Amino acid sequence: MMIAGARQGRPSAIQKLVARALARDLRCLIVPGPEVALGYGLDVTATGMRIADSPRDAGVLLIIGELSEKLGEAVAVLYAQMPRPRAVLMLGGPTPSSLPDADISAGLSQAELIDATGRLQQALAENAFATSPDDFDASVLHARTEYVCPMHPEVVEDEPGTCPKCGMDLVAREAGNDASAAETTPKHCHDHEHNQDHEHHDGHEHHEHEHHHGHDHEHHRGHGHDHGHRQGHAHEHHHNHDHEKNPSGAHEQSEHDNGGHDHGDDDHAGHDHGAMGFMSMVEVTQDLPRSADGLQMDWIEAPFGPCFPGLPGGLRLTLTLDGDGVAEGQATSLVGMSTAIEVIDAETFVERMAAAMPLAPVSYRLLACRAIERAAGLEEDPATARACASALERERIASHLGWLAQLGRQLGFAWLTRRATTMQLATRRASLDRLVELRPSLRALTVRLRHTPLLKARLRGIGALPGGSRNLRGPVARAAGSGSDSRESDAIYRELGFEVRTGDAEDAWARLWQRLVEIMASLDLVEAAGEPGLAHLRDIDSASGTGEASVETPRGHAQLSLTLERGQVTSYKLDTACSHHIGLVAGLVEGRELGDALVAVGSLDLSPWEVIS
Amino acid sequence: MTVALVLLALLGSAWLLAVIEGWVAAGRLRPAAPLLSGLAHLGRESLVPRQPDRLFFETAPVLLLVVAVLGAAVLPLAPGLVIVDLATGALFVNAALAYVLVALIMAGWGPNGAYAMIGGWRFLGQLIAYAMLIVMPITAVAMRAESLLTTAIVDSQAGLWNIVYQPLGFVLFFIAAMALAFRSPFDLPTAAGELAGGVDAEYTGARLAVLRLARLLLVVTLASATTVFYLGGWHGPLLPPWAWSLIKTLAVAASMLLAGHHLPRIREADLLGWCWKLGIPMALLNIFVVGLLILGVP
Repeated sequence: MMIAGARQGRPSAIQKLVARALARDLRCLIVPGPEVALGYGLDVTATGMRIADSPRDAGVLLIIGELSEKLGEAVAVLYAQMPRPRAVLMLGGPTPSSLPDADISAGLSQAELIDATGRLQQALAENAFATSPDDFDASVLHARTEYVCPMHPEVVEDEPGTCPKCGMDLVAREAGNDASAAETTPKHCHDHEHNQDHEHHDGHEHHEHEHHHGHDHEHHRGHGHDHGHRQGHAHEHHHNHDHEKNPSGAHEQSEHDNGGHDHGDDDHAGHDHGAMGFMSMVEVTQDLPRSADGLQMDWIEAPFGPCFPGLPGGLRLTLTLDGDGVAEGQATSLVGMSTAIEVIDAETFVERMAAAMPLAPVSYRLLACRAIERAAGLEEDPATARACASALERERIASHLGWLAQLGRQLGFAWLTRRATTMQLATRRASLDRLVELRPSLRALTVRLRHTPLLKARLRGIGALPGGSRNLRGPVARAAGSGSDSRESDAIYRELGFEVRTGDAEDAWARLWQRLVEIMASLDLVEAAGEPGLAHLRDIDSASGTGEASVETPRGHAQLSLTLERGQVTSYKLDTACSHHIGLVAGLVEGRELGDALVAVGSLDLSPWEVIS
Repeated sequence: MTVALVLLALLGSAWLLAVIEGWVAAGRLRPAAPLLSGLAHLGRESLVPRQPDRLFFETAPVLLLVVAVLGAAVLPLAPGLVIVDLATGALFVNAALAYVLVALIMAGWGPNGAYAMIGGWRFLGQLIAYAMLIVMPITAVAMRAESLLTTAIVDSQAGLWNIVYQPLGFVLFFIAAMALAFRSPFDLPTAAGELAGGVDAEYTGARLAVLRLARLLLVVTLASATTVFYLGGWHGPLLPPWAWSLIKTLAVAASMLLAGHHLPRIREADLLGWCWKLGIPMALLNIFVVGLLILGVP
C-alpha cells in the first residue's frame, strides 16, 4: 500500500530498518484535538501512538470526524508542516478536500482505531520511502509575492529591485499581508486567508529554489533585510503560517542543496542581523504602540490553534504579543455550528444536532428532542425524564473530567491528564452501578488536586473577568457566585433534591473547584435518578408548531427554539453558553503574560462547536 | 579509555532515563523504544524553516549536547574515572552549564518562529531565577571540602554525605538543577500547552534527535553533579564505586522526572519571586550554617 506522504529514497537494507523503526515510533497530531477523540470514547494512547505537540513532531495526522471547510484548510497547512514520511489516518468521515486521500480510513470506534493503527504500521514499514512520492500542493498553499521597501511602506512592486525613494533593496512579502498595518494596528479580524497566502509563498519560494538558484540568492537577501528590521513582525513569526520550506517530497533532495547554499551564504547572515547597524531600535519601534510596562517592542501577531495542545481543538486564538505579554487577543471558532439549514425531518435534525456537538452530544440530543416534542404539542414523558436527567448528569461528569484532562495538557501536568482521561473514558457510557463504583476514585481525584503543590499558585487570580461581564453561564458563572442554573426550575430535578452550588471567586482556581464540586453533585443526582438513558424522539407524526426548550449543558444553559411544519424542522434558533463566553476572551487575555492568558481562556471550557455563527 | 568509559556511562544512563520516561508517560516498559525513536528521527526529514538564522539554527542542538558532555567531563564516576580532574571542577560545572542559556536562546532565535523565540527568551528569565541557586549551594559544598576539586568534594563526604550535612543546600540545588534542565515543572521554554514545544517546535529529523539526546544528557549530567556534590559520589558498601555513582545518578534523574510528572508548570513570575525572595536567603542561611558547622565541629 502506498503512502501519499512517503519520503523520497532508494530501497536499501538500512532504509528498510529505518522504515520499521518509523512504523513503531508513531506520533500523531490529533485533529481537531485529543478532547474530541475522548468525546467519541477513543483512547489514542492505547494504540501505542504518542500524541504530538506540534506538526513538526508528528508523523501521523489523525483526523476525527468530518471537518468544517475552515478547519480543513487549516489542517492542510499543518499537514504541510509535518516532516515526511507522513501519513493521514481518517476516522469516521471523508478526507477534507484540501488534503491528499487518507492513507488509512476507519470508523469511529476504539476497535477500528486499533485495527487502523496496525494497518498504518504495516503500510509505513513497507512504504515509508518511495522512489517518486507524490507532491503535496493544495490550493490553500498558494499566494503571490510582492516587493516592498522596508522604509517606505507605500512602495510596492511586483518585481525585486531597489526603492525609487531611498535606493534600498526591496524585500519580498506575501501579497495581501500589509506588514506595517499589522504592526501598528493589529488586526482584529484575522482570518485564514492570511494563512493561505503565507503557505503558498513558501511553495513559491521553493520553486525558485528549484529552478532559479541565482534568484534565490537575491530573494533571501531581501528577506534578510526584512527580518533584520522587523524581527518579530506579524507574518515572519507565524507558526501556523508555516515555515515549511519544502512542502513537497519530490523536492526533498533540493532542500539539502539549499541547505548548503544557505549555509555558505554570508550575505544572508550579514544582512539578517547585521542590518541593525544602520538603524537604531528606537527608530525601528518609534511608531509602534507602547505596552502597559512602557517597554517598546515589536508586536508579534501569532495564531494559537486551531490544533494547539493547550487549547480546545477547533478554536483559533489570535494573540498580539508584546514580548511574552499579550497586548490583544481574539478567539474565533473554526467549527462553529451554523444555523442556516435546509428543511429536514425531525429525526435527522436530532441526529445532526447531537453529531454537531462532539463534546456534549447527550445534552444537545436531549435539547433537540425536547424542543421538537414541545413544538409537536407533546407533554414531557415522566417515564423517560429521569433516565434522561441521569444521562445528562453523567455527561456533565465526563465533560468536566475532559476539561481536567485538557487543563493537565495545558499545564504540563501529565498525571492529571492521564488520570482524568482514564476516568472520563470509564464514565462516559457507564451504567449506574459502574458510576457508583467510581465514586471513591472521583473523590480521591478531588482530594489529590486540593493538595497538589503549585496548582493553586498557578490558577489563583488568573482569568478574572473584566467588570460588568454579562451573559455568564454554567460553571463559569456559578464559580463567581452569580450564576443561575436552569435545572432549578425543572420538576424532575426538584424531585431529585437538586440544589445550586456556587463559589465565590472569579478566577481559574474557583472554576476548577466549581467543576470538581459539580462532578460530585452530579454523581449524587445520577444515583438518585437511576439508570441513565439517552433521549429518543417520540413519534410526532406530521405535527406542526413552534417549540422552545432549554437544557443545562455541561458548559451552561442552552436554549433551542424551532418551527415544525408537517414533521419537518424548517427553522431553528440555538442559544448556547459558549457563544457568549467566546466574547470574553479579548478581555481575559489583554495585558496578561502568555501562559496566564492561555490558562484564563482554558478556564472558560469553551467548546468551539457550541459557538453559533 | 577513561573518556570512552565515561561517555558510555553517560549514553547508557540517558538510554535508561528515556526508558523510565516512557514508562512514566505511557505505563509500559519498552527497552527498545529510545533506540527505535532515535532511528525513526533519523528517518524523518530534517526541515529547515523559512528564513532561519542558519548559524544559530544549526549550532544550538550541537551546542546543548557539547555543554552537557562538558559538564560531565569533570564529574568523577569512581576514583580515577574522571575525564579531567580539574582544580576548579566545581566551578567548571557551573561555567559549562551557563551555555545552556546560550544554546536555548540560539534555538529560540534561529528558526524564526514566534513559539520558539518566546521559549528562548523565557529561559533567560528562568536563568535569572535559578542561577544563584546553583552557585550558592556549590559554595557551601566547596567550603566543607576546602577544595573545588570534584574528587576532593566526594572524599569530604566519606563519613557523612552532604545531603545530611547540608540538607537545605541539597533541596535548593536539586530544584535549581531541575530548572536548569528545563524539565517539568520548569519546562517554560518548551511548554507543550503554551508554546507547542517552544524551542523544540521547529526542529525535526536528525536535528531533533540531537536536541532530544542533549536534553537527556543534560539531566544525566545534573543528576551526576547532584550525586557528586550531595550524595557522596562513589561511596557505598559492597558494590564497586562506579556502580554506586551510576545508581545514585539514575535515582536522582528518575526522581526529577517523577516530580515533574506530578506537578503543574510553574509561572515564570512565581519562579523568579520564590527564587529571589525565598531561595537566595535560604542559600545564604545554608552557607552560614555550614560555616558554623565547619568552625564548631572539627
